[in-house]
Amino acid sequence: MQAVNKICQHSFAGFYKALCYLLLLLLPQQTVFAAESQSNAAAMWENIEMRGAKQSVYFHAWGGDQQINNYIQWVAQQVKQQYDIDLHHVKLTDTSEAVSRVLAEKSASNHRNGQVDLVWINGANFASMAKHKLLALDWADKLPNFALTNPENNPAMTRDFGVPTEGMEAPWGQAALTFYYDSLKVQQPPQTLAELLSWTKQHPGRFTYPKPPEFLGMSFLKYALIILNENQPEDIKNKLYQAATAESEAQILPALWDFLDQLHPNLWRQGHHFVSNGLALRRLSGDGELQVSFTFSAAEIPSAIARYDLPDSTRSYRMLDGSLSNIHFVAIPYNSPHLDSAKVVANFLLSPEAQAKKQQTSVWGDSSVLDLSQLTPTQHAYFDMTEQQHLSATIINVDNTRLLSELHPSWSAVITKQWLARYGVQ
Amino acid sequence: MIVANTFFTRTVRTSPAVMIALLVVPVLGGLLGVLLPAFGWFPALGATEFGLFGFTELFATPGIERMLLLSYGTSLVSTLLAFVITVLILASYFNSPWLKRIQRLLGPILVIPHAAAAIAIGFLIAPSGFLSRLFSPWLTSWDTPPDWLFPHDPYGLSIILGLALKELPFLLLIALGVLAQPEIGKVLRQQHKVASSLGYCPMTGFFKVILPSLYGYMRLPILAVLAYSSASVEIPLILGPNTPPTLAVAIMQWFNDVDLSLRIKASSGAIVQILVTLSLLVTWWGIELLVKKCSAAWLTNGEREHGGMIIKLITDVITFVMVSTIILALLGMVFWSFAGFWSYPNLLPDQFMTMHWQSALTQMQAPLFNTLVIAFSSTLLAIVLTLFALESEQQSNKTISAVSGLIIYLPLLIPSIAFLFGLVWLFEQVNSQNTYLNVIFAHLLFVLPYVFLSLANSYRRLDPRFSSVAASLGAAPSKIFWQLKLPLLISPILIASALGLAISFSQYLPTLLAGAGRINTITTEAVTLANGASRRTSAVYALMQMLLPALFFILAWLTPKIFSRARV
Repeated sequence: MQAVNKICQHSFAGFYKALCYLLLLLLPQQTVFAAESQSNAAAMWENIEMRGAKQSVYFHAWGGDQQINNYIQWVAQQVKQQYDIDLHHVKLTDTSEAVSRVLAEKSASNHRNGQVDLVWINGANFASMAKHKLLALDWADKLPNFALTNPENNPAMTRDFGVPTEGMEAPWGQAALTFYYDSLKVQQPPQTLAELLSWTKQHPGRFTYPKPPEFLGMSFLKYALIILNENQPEDIKNKLYQAATAESEAQILPALWDFLDQLHPNLWRQGHHFVSNGLALRRLSGDGELQVSFTFSAAEIPSAIARYDLPDSTRSYRMLDGSLSNIHFVAIPYNSPHLDSAKVVANFLLSPEAQAKKQQTSVWGDSSVLDLSQLTPTQHAYFDMTEQQHLSATIINVDNTRLLSELHPSWSAVITKQWLARYGVQ
Repeated sequence: MIVANTFFTRTVRTSPAVMIALLVVPVLGGLLGVLLPAFGWFPALGATEFGLFGFTELFATPGIERMLLLSYGTSLVSTLLAFVITVLILASYFNSPWLKRIQRLLGPILVIPHAAAAIAIGFLIAPSGFLSRLFSPWLTSWDTPPDWLFPHDPYGLSIILGLALKELPFLLLIALGVLAQPEIGKVLRQQHKVASSLGYCPMTGFFKVILPSLYGYMRLPILAVLAYSSASVEIPLILGPNTPPTLAVAIMQWFNDVDLSLRIKASSGAIVQILVTLSLLVTWWGIELLVKKCSAAWLTNGEREHGGMIIKLITDVITFVMVSTIILALLGMVFWSFAGFWSYPNLLPDQFMTMHWQSALTQMQAPLFNTLVIAFSSTLLAIVLTLFALESEQQSNKTISAVSGLIIYLPLLIPSIAFLFGLVWLFEQVNSQNTYLNVIFAHLLFVLPYVFLSLANSYRRLDPRFSSVAASLGAAPSKIFWQLKLPLLISPILIASALGLAISFSQYLPTLLAGAGRINTITTEAVTLANGASRRTSAVYALMQMLLPALFFILAWLTPKIFSRARV
């Protein structure tokens, strides 16, 4: 309709106006078409479910967290029962391993019999796969459960770090940057970026972040970048959500480097060594080497306490000046031999049953991507379960801080490159 | 010896060729698969022009000199250290019961996978590790973990410690193995006795009489150790710095990077890695020449005593420190695997529990199964190939040529990171979809050389008169092989099998790459978890990695004893 409106606004073209009316007349008929195509879609989906049965799906997903692995195990049982699909979890240490694999297959002209059927992905990995045309196109928006995410009113479901997903990936969950600290050792945790800087000055060596391009480390840098450029004019701030250019880099990045130059001498190991991932942060917190730390999956904190990996006095909170948040997706490589089965699994991952299970803190605690207002009462019931929670499962400030959206993926590469040039060799 | 032309003898005769092909094709093919992208040929990225831009990019990487220096330095220093300590131990405890005891203590370290060893050492030297807890707070007055250098220190000292501790038992056992060979060991021991009777102090006698001959037999294993350590991934990954890391670790990260164009730079890096390894080998050779030249006069000056007591004292201290390091590292790991929360600076965990073992053991079944299937298949293949190749040697009455002898060690001498990525590409080319077979095949490349190394001496040493007598009594070659030689050699075959299993258990990179990540073994899980959040789960997996090979070595050692007892 937008295009139609634009054409109608054209001042001198009565002809177009007539055409517009004509189109409007056609509208009721279009809805008929739509209804028809809906039943068509349902039939098509049944076909897909039928063809997808009795096959294996190799789901390449990061496997560093036992809780998530257990959840995927549960999904495997469910799709076996409901659709007779054998889901195999291929545990990656880094999602880029799957990206490299599909690329290697493409370079060996293996266009039909790839080893990856489904991959857990977002951000730079997605951008890279999309750029090299390594993904199946135009399927995610046709999943029956995709409508439950209310994509018309929720643009985040079809944008991955600002890049349109164009049906190449289906949303799976969402996460926001959450900080945690040992309440026995830290009375007043820093609640803004500026407070964090002064806190590290008073408590040198008790905070650090993973080395970019690692995802969590990158997220911390992006959070800092957004906050540090808060007072810039609107048009400069907006450049964070567009592809980086030499000009925008010069306008935006210096604030970050100034900040890091001040922060680094007071980091763990004086910023000479950076940990490799968020799990290492958690381990160091458990050891008492770090006192304030952060994660993207807040639910891991109570479960880590239950496994004695973190002290019982750990508490979690969100920064008052904002919390970086993003959606993660599943995608199907272009050469997957089990395309239909993979779609069925992706659809199941989006089902209220699977999403509600995933949201329980005792299971994984990853926020659902479904719009609860779209659900029927039976579907809604899945989400109504109450559970016993550890104190750390209650995230302080969760309601009174805003969610910061992800930057354009090109910024990750730019920040990584300049970061490595500045701090990569010490 | 004239040999009948039967199916058995024909199979045996072709086996050396099969073995050599199995080693050469993947290694050279894999190298090709890295060489092409290194010089810019990578059609999947649209790079179809040969050029040096991969290398230009590589040398423009910030900190590349540091990476090279770190790779070069850590492997040279660690190998030198391991070698010097080996020699010191041999010299100090030669002809002493302590040698046997140290050997027994260090032997098990040999079969501990690198990843597990790195995890254990990391636990020991971390700021909140066992060492720091041992001295806190009573000596150091630390009540929170200090922000100190280890592990991940920028100079690679942690890597050197890890590598040296892993290399030392290997070199020591190689040396003892040489000394155990009757024709060498006996002669050397007699020479040592002559030296003693001429008034040489035992230590000086060892340096002047035994070491020069012994070294010749140790050269190849030392070079293999040097080559391996220059390109190893596990220890630098777990213990090393990352601003910047060693070259091998950086290459692995570039290969796995999101930015696919880094593949070209990674391939160029793999070529440079080979050059680093080569230059290390040349350096070692240079040092060898230098030492030979400088010590020539000293060897023949007739002096009977060169501070033997002081050297002995130093060796005692080094041995004590080393052994206690190993014991503390293992102890710390056992504690972690049973620990509830373990607050600093308590020496013992706040609670003990079996929860981590229970939950890990239930999750471990699939990886454990994979580990065993792959290890048994590749070891069985390696044993069969090795036995046939050695049998063919005896039937044709000449030992495998020098070239073939060197080829067997090819996978050990060429940095695996350089050819494994190419090997995956090769698997893709022949469309080999069965990941299990791919992994078994990749493991064979590393299992075979060790099995051969371990079996060759015993097989060649078997008294030829046994088979001559059997043949003169009319036994067919196959009968001699199956019913005479194999039963006589059961003990070394079982030990070689246990070694093969242990090597297969410990493989990380080959499993990860050839298995397309689909095949999880205890080792891949342990490395993944080493960078993970839980020291406790990580400790369980690392201990499991140690227990598995230990179990099979004990079995290999016990089985013949039980059988021989049964026969008597």
